[in-house]
Amino acid sequence: MSEIRELRPVLEVCDRLMAEAGCDFVGLAIQNTVGPDVRWHYAAGNLNDKYERITVRFGKGIAGKIISSGSAMMLADFPNDIFGKVTDYPIMLAEKLVSSYAVPLFFNAVPKGVLLIGKRESFTFPEHVQYQVKDAAEALEQLLKEHL
Amino acid sequence: MEAKSNQQISSYIIQSQEEEIKRISIELHEGVGQNLYSILTGLQFIESGSQEPQLKNHLREMSQLIEKTIQEIRLLSVELYPPVLTTLGLLPAMKSYIKLYTSTFGILVDLESAGTEKWLPENSRIAVFRVCQEALTNIVKYADTSNVKINFIWTEDELKITINDYGKGFQPDEQEDSIQSSGLAAMQERMLLTGGQCTISSKIGEGTSIELSLPLKD
Repeated sequence: MSEIRELRPVLEVCDRLMAEAGCDFVGLAIQNTVGPDVRWHYAAGNLNDKYERITVRFGKGIAGKIISSGSAMMLADFPNDIFGKVTDYPIMLAEKLVSSYAVPLFFNAVPKGVLLIGKRESFTFPEHVQYQVKDAAEALEQLLKEHL
Repeated sequence: MEAKSNQQISSYIIQSQEEEIKRISIELHEGVGQNLYSILTGLQFIESGSQEPQLKNHLREMSQLIEKTIQEIRLLSVELYPPVLTTLGLLPAMKSYIKLYTSTFGILVDLESAGTEKWLPENSRIAVFRVCQEALTNIVKYADTSNVKINFIWTEDELKITINDYGKGFQPDEQEDSIQSSGLAAMQERMLLTGGQCTISSKIGEGTSIELSLPLKD
């Protein structure tokens, strides 16, 4: 799975999304081929390399909740109005994100990944940006389905 | 007299909370976790005997979901109360917590221990562990750093622990009313209740240093 960062079309989709959505951060988390662990495999606009060491906890934080529920999720003003503790949102803390919007990536109809965009300021992502993220997620599903 | 009574009440409340946390942790691990494991084994058995590809696929997905749930239950249980703290002691429990901490928050922790580890009474073990946990949680929330250094120094009559975060630091006198300050005061109080001390120093741009000391009595 470490080769995701070497798949140029995948990186292009993420980088294009970052430019089009005008966000500060894009992260791609995918479930490992062996075992249930979900890790952040690629990030753009990152401030540090913490994301490489973070394992997404099932059902916790923005990515964990998306994988467990299969639904998109938005945080407009982190850490206000969150469910659970601040420390349940490691990627928000690691990247100093204040707002984020994330969608699941489905493989064989099962959510096994997350595409997340974020900003380092309070922000409500409008509908057209949400569609951009969903379109990018669909493109990534096509590109990655052979690798999973 | 009143101060002593307040201290006893605080100790009693903390001890009761710790006992409850330990009970929930064990219940999650030994009860819920074990039951889920039995369900997983059952599903895998049914899957191996099934000839229907669609059913097989469905059973595999369900097994994976239960596997993830078991893993999360175990992590929750260990987070609440690490069993290693009872079986192997403070240092192994810290090493185990640090592994979980790095994989959760991406912050690297370098832990070194000098001297021979002594077996601490349960209350002291839990108190020191909780104060270290609180310090590490504060680092995630406020320090803006990727590296932490922890030193354990064991001597005949004292355990000294230093935690340095090399982060952005803070102005201690400007934090008086903040949540962060309450957390720091709680750490100091907890060490005092167990007979030890906690000193916190910080400088903007240079990071925060926490020094814990605990007298070791025979």
